[in-house]
Amino acid sequence: MIPRMNWILKSILASCLVLAAAESAHALDIKRMTLTNGATLLVSENHQLPMVTVAIALDAGSLRDPPGKAGLAMLTAGSVNQGTRELSATAFDEKVDFMGSSLFVGADHDYATAGFTALKRYEKETLGLLAGILSSPGLRDADIDRKRAEQVAGIKAAEEEPGYIAAVAFAKGLYGDTPYGHLTTGTSDSVAKLSNDDVRNFYRDYYRLGSAVIAVAGDVDASEVKALLEKSLPGPGGAVGAQPQPTVPALAAGLDIKLIDRNVQQANVMLGFIGIARSNPDYYKIQVMNYILGGGMFASRLMKTVRSKAGLAYHVSSIFDARKFPGPFVAVLQTKNQSANEAIKMVLQQMRQMQESPVSDPELDNARKFLVGSFPLKIDRQEQIAEFMLKVELDGLGLDYAERYPKLIESVTKQDVLEAARKYLHPDDALLVVVANQHAAAINTAMLNQTAAGAGGGK
Amino acid sequence: MSTILSRKSCRAAAVIWAALLFCTLAAGFARAGIADGVKTKTLSNGLRVLVLENHKAPVATFNVFYHVGSRNEQFGRTGISHLLEHLMFRGTKKYGPDEFSNIIQENGGMDNAYTTADYTCYFVNINKDHLDVPISLEADRMANFAPQGFESERAVVIEERRMRTEDKPEDALDEQTRAAAFVEHPYHWPVIGWMQDIRRLTLDDVYAYHSIYYSPQNAVIVTVGDFKADQVMKQIEEAFSGIKNGPKPPPMPIVEPEQRGERRIELLHAADLPAFQEGFHVPNFKAGSDAYALEVAGEVLADGKSSRLYRRLVMEKRMVVDINAGLDIRSFDPDLFLFAAQMRPGVKTEDALAEVDREIAELRDHLVSADELQKAKNLEAAQFVFGQDSVFNQAMWLGIYELLGDYRQVDAYLPGIDKVTAADVQRVVRKYLVGDNRTTGVLIPTGMLPKGAMGGGPSGGQVRHIDLTTDEVAR
Repeated sequence: MIPRMNWILKSILASCLVLAAAESAHALDIKRMTLTNGATLLVSENHQLPMVTVAIALDAGSLRDPPGKAGLAMLTAGSVNQGTRELSATAFDEKVDFMGSSLFVGADHDYATAGFTALKRYEKETLGLLAGILSSPGLRDADIDRKRAEQVAGIKAAEEEPGYIAAVAFAKGLYGDTPYGHLTTGTSDSVAKLSNDDVRNFYRDYYRLGSAVIAVAGDVDASEVKALLEKSLPGPGGAVGAQPQPTVPALAAGLDIKLIDRNVQQANVMLGFIGIARSNPDYYKIQVMNYILGGGMFASRLMKTVRSKAGLAYHVSSIFDARKFPGPFVAVLQTKNQSANEAIKMVLQQMRQMQESPVSDPELDNARKFLVGSFPLKIDRQEQIAEFMLKVELDGLGLDYAERYPKLIESVTKQDVLEAARKYLHPDDALLVVVANQHAAAINTAMLNQTAAGAGGGK
Repeated sequence: MSTILSRKSCRAAAVIWAALLFCTLAAGFARAGIADGVKTKTLSNGLRVLVLENHKAPVATFNVFYHVGSRNEQFGRTGISHLLEHLMFRGTKKYGPDEFSNIIQENGGMDNAYTTADYTCYFVNINKDHLDVPISLEADRMANFAPQGFESERAVVIEERRMRTEDKPEDALDEQTRAAAFVEHPYHWPVIGWMQDIRRLTLDDVYAYHSIYYSPQNAVIVTVGDFKADQVMKQIEEAFSGIKNGPKPPPMPIVEPEQRGERRIELLHAADLPAFQEGFHVPNFKAGSDAYALEVAGEVLADGKSSRLYRRLVMEKRMVVDINAGLDIRSFDPDLFLFAAQMRPGVKTEDALAEVDREIAELRDHLVSADELQKAKNLEAAQFVFGQDSVFNQAMWLGIYELLGDYRQVDAYLPGIDKVTAADVQRVVRKYLVGDNRTTGVLIPTGMLPKGAMGGGPSGGQVRHIDLTTDEVAR
């Protein structure tokens, strides 16, 4: 059985590893073009397998959820994927499945993405179906009603997962009522209140194909696929208005501790603060610093102390989720209720340690080597290549990003890491969410506050 | 199909999502015959080596499969395969704890491992220029196993079990349903092991287990990537051929006795929503056409939004958000054809189970149409090609088929699916998806909110057995 993946943790961890540099022997050879409707097209041809992957990004993520309408971007994405004006949802699904294509429409914090993987021989037909739902979706009442009920039920189900409960409280605690303050799912209350016209209006306002970014990878011919898109994806032109950065309320000074009581054996801990936007010039210094702290799997200090030495957790890691606007930094771990205090204390101490003394030469060297050397593993499959091209365009990294990346990482020094830790880690001014059996966990707020402030925490 | 996932335990969390992805992609090779390109060798110590060139990207994957999983364990010592897998990262005579992973990462690689009921796999995905690194490190830990920090690593595994099973209602239900469905065969217990057993295992147990099962004669190496096969074969031979074998692993002769009559269990667990899982004993691919026909039945029932169960239970009746059905035909011994779903708020499991029954009856009483049969085959064929996009995936399937007897069987998969007729589907549904062969597990939620002062007591796992044909499971 496929466990319902914890939507949030999945996306946090999936983005754990930064993209690094390509090798010239297998360069992606990205071609960038502009369609007549204004959309940007990026193509990377590879003819080894008779299959094609397409990914389209639209400025229609949950950042665009209007106040009080959390979950609208996701409901819209789900509703768009329910057939066209001509094809019912069931007729549409039937066609997609018959070709064996896998087609999706979804929403993230910053963007909505739609796309598919299909056999080469079904490329045109699948592309036609995707273009159909994006440019003239059915958006029938019955289908939206059904998707809304599904989304609410999905949230209710996720509320059994301590990781989801923690992620909801963590987002809310950091960002309040601003758009990053809710998960893309929204809450069961907010979604239940969304109207069918809310969905239709959201689609009308933000599914502007003229400002879409389209990535195509695999067994295609760049000029052919461009012609195909020109024909099948005229869509509404015009760009979506730029969105100002939301003003986020500041955290209270000191550790802000939120305890949530649930009938669980493990305490699920999220500790963090507002981090950085993808456009932050210190991005690469921060990546190296966080690799050493908690992003570097078994090479990270958090893994070494909390897991390998103390045996307190199976999973512990940290990430700077760099988004369009400053996204969260979060350290995540699960440990038996009784050891929650000890594990959290270790995380705080490791963060302070990063700020107090420079990392060692081998640590720095290994972090840089991994970040540079592991890049080819991250653009190995078509799906990854398509996603990489979207990032290159949306984050303005430039088509030569792969070539520039090694230098960006290799130029990071020990001093840079120390400064990044001092500037971007805030153990003494953080939000701590603990979902646990609170009686058993008995969180010691005084001790944790002391550790966070670096006073007598017992290094 | 996805049933393999619940029987997999791994060293670190990240691989779970990778596994999920691979499972949904199903098998992975094109009709041309992927096995044709594989170069093989059996080293003097019996170690089998499979090498396949794939020049799609400048990467390589290096996999060591040991022919041991929880199916080789004993009552009272469950979880030892998985604990050993963890300890393989805790050092050798030459390297300290976690040095394996650190060295791999310094070389831009990523490593992990996972244990299933049937086998244990260690893998490294790495830049093609550094393949020599995992080759020498894997040879070292096959020969020079000497872990440090046994107690803390066992504590990690206990945390893993808490995360994976204790605090995950559906996985807790899966464990209990299997325990009821399998009476004698080791598929009775979970891959990660029972909590008590994990606590009882000793370092001596693990050393003994390693010496028997982690011998060259009990392993298969599979590497796929952007390299010259001959050169890599030579490197592997140099690194591994000097490793000596331990005692010969004992056979695992247990055959699950035929189930005679329906079984039903209930699990009271911390949760808000009820869920069910039901399983029917079915053959694996060694049985030939029956297994392929069951695979097609799984496609018709639950693959895609146009599948029968998705349509009925998710779209029309709105009883569940998602439903899974299917089998893993590559299990080493006959396993279960499973149906699993979590209820939406207000839905009773018996109502959803009745709908599942109705769909099974439909397949039993009426032939699937030519179009629907073709759709199922098309889905399989497409997923087969999609799966080849990953060298890791290619290596995984080659390794599994080699452990099952012959890696070339990987190319028999699609032809086997292709031969399935509507009558075959009906035949296997009538033969296997019948009440007397069914075990149903129902999760009864006891609530996510602690009641009063719960103290540190267990939050879930109280099992009530009803109408069991045996009391083995109640131990």
